[in-house]
Amino acid sequence: MAALPTNFARGDLQDQKVADYQSPLGVTRTETVSLPGLRTHSGFTFEQVDVAYQTLGTLSPARDNAILICPALTGDAHVAGTDPHTGRPGWWDYHVGPGKAIDTDKFFVICASVLGGCGGTTGPASSRPGNGKPYGMDFPPVTVRDMVSVQIKLLDHLGIPKLFAVIGGSMGGMQVLALAVDHPERVRVCIPIATCISHTAMQIAFNEIGRHAIVSDPDWNGGDYSEGRRPVHGLAVARMVGHVTYLSEFAMTHKFGRQRQAEQGANGDEAAAFSVESYLQHQGQNFVKRFDPNSYLYLTRAIDQFDLFENGPAADILRRVRARFLVISFASDWLYPPAQSRELVRLLKRAGISATYINVGTEYGHDSFLIENPAFASVVRHYLENENRSRQLKP
Amino acid sequence: MNPGIYETVLRWIPEKSRVLDLGAGDGSFLARLVQARQATGEGVEKDSGLVARCVERGLVVHQGDIADGLDQYGDGAFDFVLLLGTFQELVLPAEILREAFRVGRQVIVAYSNFAHLRVRLQILFQGRTPVTRSLPQPWHRTRNLHFLSILDFQQFTRDLGVRETARAYFNARGAVRFLPNLRAEEAVSLLHADTISRRSAVAEPGKTKTETYEV
Repeated sequence: MAALPTNFARGDLQDQKVADYQSPLGVTRTETVSLPGLRTHSGFTFEQVDVAYQTLGTLSPARDNAILICPALTGDAHVAGTDPHTGRPGWWDYHVGPGKAIDTDKFFVICASVLGGCGGTTGPASSRPGNGKPYGMDFPPVTVRDMVSVQIKLLDHLGIPKLFAVIGGSMGGMQVLALAVDHPERVRVCIPIATCISHTAMQIAFNEIGRHAIVSDPDWNGGDYSEGRRPVHGLAVARMVGHVTYLSEFAMTHKFGRQRQAEQGANGDEAAAFSVESYLQHQGQNFVKRFDPNSYLYLTRAIDQFDLFENGPAADILRRVRARFLVISFASDWLYPPAQSRELVRLLKRAGISATYINVGTEYGHDSFLIENPAFASVVRHYLENENRSRQLKP
Repeated sequence: MNPGIYETVLRWIPEKSRVLDLGAGDGSFLARLVQARQATGEGVEKDSGLVARCVERGLVVHQGDIADGLDQYGDGAFDFVLLLGTFQELVLPAEILREAFRVGRQVIVAYSNFAHLRVRLQILFQGRTPVTRSLPQPWHRTRNLHFLSILDFQQFTRDLGVRETARAYFNARGAVRFLPNLRAEEAVSLLHADTISRRSAVAEPGKTKTETYEV
């Protein structure tokens, strides 16, 4: 078997401790702010929403160097730096920091946990006003556009009239697109990564397997579970399925092949687990510690429902968009295949929007943007640098 | 490619034109065009490493294979479409030219002349497939699919209903004016479509009867 590139072996920073990895940002903290009044697209009104967010770098006096990072399904506000409690680096520490693709020496970086998630922003596990019990399944349906509305409220709170850039992968990419369309006056540069304008049947199907695993776990109890009896088995299965779709056959072959766990395989035990089995179980076990099962249901619903052009023809909707785009896909991504990014690019260009498109060759699959990835990082860094330079020339 | 070709193309393109460079490579020429002509430039390139180089230069670039068409661009989105250096590698050059004329008003094509004297002599006296400065690879390694001469190209444009409004020929010593089909190694041609975009299908090459007396 060919040697596995180090970055493939290390994987992402979400669910595992990467040996010797130290964030150059040191300890970073997540703050929470209560913002008033939000009406969701389903018609539900929150009197107030809590928003957990992190900021890195320094806001320029003109308040024009802000970059909003939109997290993917299981990401949260802790985007980079070391968490003071867990000691873990942020989920995008490989690409956010001093001198990195998203350079915190130049830009003021903001990242907030999404509405409906479980990263400190209001979600199904939050206490309901009044009785103090969690919302559970009484939480209103959430859309990607609702997530963006919350982020806009946060920008208002931080006093940022217009973002320099908004960037995100997967579900984060959907937020990028929704922000560009719903709030065209709030952003100059959009970088949607490994994303799409709406899910295909296959993408919905994988999410439905995950949801089904959760709701058929007896401990789910209609979404009304206690800390003691959470549907951890269902959620672990959902994560295992999800994780497979985030990788490529190449990555799995080179990472695991048909290797078995050493301690079991040594005495020729036929039942010895394949490495990939224990890896997935490990992924599942770690995930249930940090993720709320109901949030998984709500967020996967949100991305399945997402349709950038649900309100009219693409040409009409894109007419008001002013931002310039860098669209990135990965050749090995079979969950959000490059063809979906190309379709997005086609619609952008046909609407007269400046769009650069690159299909990066990383063979890691959908998660290629979450791992250490020099080719990807270089494109993002140069694009942001060049756009930043032209912004300074003609503000 | 002969540097004279790039100089010629720079001369042909007026300031502030909208230019699409097909097969933009690392974007060096497009960047020059954007700089020197204040052009609004965009490149199409299939190699992701080269696309990344274009991004480094601050160019708008699209990763794609021009053989798959240019569906991402609307009709008449550009003033000029450039095909410099890949023309003889295209499987269906007529189809790509048609598509180029859909998205652009004028198309500039550069190509190698297979009827150059040295090529003719190699075939005639050595009996071998020629390897020359402008055709540097042996037959089994070359990416060229089509071996055309300047006369062939002119015939091709006539068959397509495309007007050649300017042309320039080059060999290692510079511009060639006298007997280009014999003496030039490379050619560049500025094309204007009068009828191509209204045709339902490309005329089959060779259908038009044309007499040629050039060598």
